[in-house]
Amino acid sequence: MIGQYLKRGLLAFSAAAALFIAAHGESKAQDKKFKIYLSLSYSGNDWQTEAANIVKALAATPPYDKLVDLREVISGTDVQAQISAYESMIADKADGVISFPVSPTALNRTIRKGCKAGVLFFMYDATVTEPCAYNVSYITSGFGENTAQALVNMLGGKGIIFENRGVPGNSVDKRHVLGAEAIFKKYPNIHIVATYYGMWSAQTSQQETAKALIAHPEVTGIWSEYGEEGVLKAVLASKRSELFPITGEDSNAFRLALIDPALKARGFTGASSGSPPATAGYAFKIMMEVLTKKRNLAIHNIEYPLPWVPADKVKVCPGDEFENGCNVFPKDKVTDSFTTEVFEPVLLPELTMKTALTGLPKPGATIQPLPAALHPAPLEPGINCGHCEPPADLYKLTKVQPAVH
Amino acid sequence: MTKTSPSEHATAAPVPEASAKATAARSGFRIGPEGWTTLALFGLTVFMILASRLISSGFGSWQQAQAILLLSSFTIVLGFGQGLVILIGGLDLSVGVVMTLGGILAYRWIGTSLVALFWAIPCILLVTGCVGAINGLGATLLRLPPFIMTLATSLIIYGVFLGFTGGQPRGVASPALTSAYTSTFAGLPVILWLLLIFIVLATLVQSHSSFGRRLYAVGTSPMAAYIAGLPVRLLIVAAYAISGVTSGLAGILLVGYATGATLTMGQSYLLPSVAAVVVGGASILGGRGTYLATVGGALLLTTLSTIIEALGLAEGWRTVIYGLVIMLALLALRENMGIGWALTPKFRNTASRSRPGGAGHKPNKTGGNG
Repeated sequence: MIGQYLKRGLLAFSAAAALFIAAHGESKAQDKKFKIYLSLSYSGNDWQTEAANIVKALAATPPYDKLVDLREVISGTDVQAQISAYESMIADKADGVISFPVSPTALNRTIRKGCKAGVLFFMYDATVTEPCAYNVSYITSGFGENTAQALVNMLGGKGIIFENRGVPGNSVDKRHVLGAEAIFKKYPNIHIVATYYGMWSAQTSQQETAKALIAHPEVTGIWSEYGEEGVLKAVLASKRSELFPITGEDSNAFRLALIDPALKARGFTGASSGSPPATAGYAFKIMMEVLTKKRNLAIHNIEYPLPWVPADKVKVCPGDEFENGCNVFPKDKVTDSFTTEVFEPVLLPELTMKTALTGLPKPGATIQPLPAALHPAPLEPGINCGHCEPPADLYKLTKVQPAVH
Repeated sequence: MTKTSPSEHATAAPVPEASAKATAARSGFRIGPEGWTTLALFGLTVFMILASRLISSGFGSWQQAQAILLLSSFTIVLGFGQGLVILIGGLDLSVGVVMTLGGILAYRWIGTSLVALFWAIPCILLVTGCVGAINGLGATLLRLPPFIMTLATSLIIYGVFLGFTGGQPRGVASPALTSAYTSTFAGLPVILWLLLIFIVLATLVQSHSSFGRRLYAVGTSPMAAYIAGLPVRLLIVAAYAISGVTSGLAGILLVGYATGATLTMGQSYLLPSVAAVVVGGASILGGRGTYLATVGGALLLTTLSTIIEALGLAEGWRTVIYGLVIMLALLALRENMGIGWALTPKFRNTASRSRPGGAGHKPNKTGGNG
């Protein structure tokens, strides 16, 4: 008797469960979300975290909050790990992959496979040479040549300088240095006495600069990639009374130092440019416009404008949002190594400093459409194409002009 | 522990005693080969600093020596823990990550408060010491090979603080820690005085305490030490725990130097910590090496990298030269044919009698030389 009741109850329960599952499945099919993977190569410095947070914040900003199912995968600096991460994403039938690629060439095979399976691949900041992927980056916008020219101008065409490079063998580092040296070699009175690798880390840059300063106390200027904040710390720690120009990337501490009256009085000046984490947000928005069929994208290499902040253009933001061209934050709001380039008023009005710090959307913001025309990036072999001809004016200056000859 | 045959008892049992005697001899007036190795390392470092004047005008100065000492401070501190672990025949691959852990905690907990300095530093060292102890427990109780155990711990810790910090350590660099690097006391940066105290204490612990002598005994032959009644497992765990503490301390110092913390801040110090110990003449198999020699090794390596950097060569060649010089240093400083050996004829003659514990085969090999 009891057994029969139990049986009947069980039957009723399973019928209800089946109904529920069917209904749920149907509703899921109605508002299907785009499955997007965010593939970080490495999270461990402020830059990578900010870039990831910006993507997360945009994915949570209406109307994308209802359209996007964003999954984050951190695969370390190992190419093999990123290849297998991509493989899993392709197997999981992702609609799109937005990624910071570890290598410009090693991921190509996997990306090609993904493209064939209908996955969109958008790379931000670093690039790949696989033609079916989309590269969204500032790399081709001339960081190296512009900062080098700015340094030469500040030095009046002659001086003894250091180069603080990034990671040896990396295509981005190579591009920056080739651009810089194309400028330096025009000036016979500019002597590069030390070239070292700061590994895009403030601490390593600090130590390597400290070593170079012992060997060459006569230095009069430093050209630096990411890690400039450490370069400056090493110079200050060397207890010299007179300072000199330093060009570097976009760390908050470096920009604040550029407007520090005490340091200015001792001769410190410089220019801040370089890799903006906001690129990740730009890449994500382009990808979403393609996925939602709002954009028909013909070009595969899209250039993000080069941030350019010489010492006299540094301006502290009073709040967390973009106001009057401000480009740096008070010391107590962010860490020294916070990369300040998180604003782009035209392309990314949805961003605030908080979105980059927390990954949460700006309250009340909705996604604004991008301009109809996107800026195509020039082809550069080994950077965004395999075998191609670079333009003749590859290292042309865009932000500064030679002030000395 | 496994059972041992009577013959093993007979050969192994006297070792701790002999090793203790050897240590006692070292602490006396006579300078043994390890003492000569240390002197040779310091001498070579000073010579290189003076000779480097030929390469650059900025070299050969007191300023340079000071900068080298500052840059070496992290490896010197790390080298003590790593040295003890290597002494007992282990290897600690987690020092880089534990150093980062110490740095991140210091960045978060100490902040601008001076009071926090007094509670946070002991707490941080306790945490990192516990991590070290876990390494030691894994190596003894679970019998995992030390490099696998410490590698696994470092992966786990890295994962934990990656999740915990969201990739971005938050905090403020303590002004007190920073001033240790920037302010001076009696003409020297404060950090160098602190370093000097650390070196003296560490040398006392390693070479002049019964704890240190027991570690030598364990490193020479764990089985013999066990039979002689030493708490081998406890000693091994203690060595790893100390390595955790020194890694944490190095991380705290690095926050003071770099006035910031990142998730990879300690990474680049792992290999130098091992290299300093080995260049200092310690045997990677355990049982041999002194802390002062490790200090000498750390100074030599930093001096070398500073000078090579000034040569203006391409990065590839710099790395090649660095590797070659380390290889030459190891050849010159090795036990049986190195500088220390050549400078102590008396010891060379009596070595096979006084040091049966060095490593079983060595006395036989050198017998012909004597």
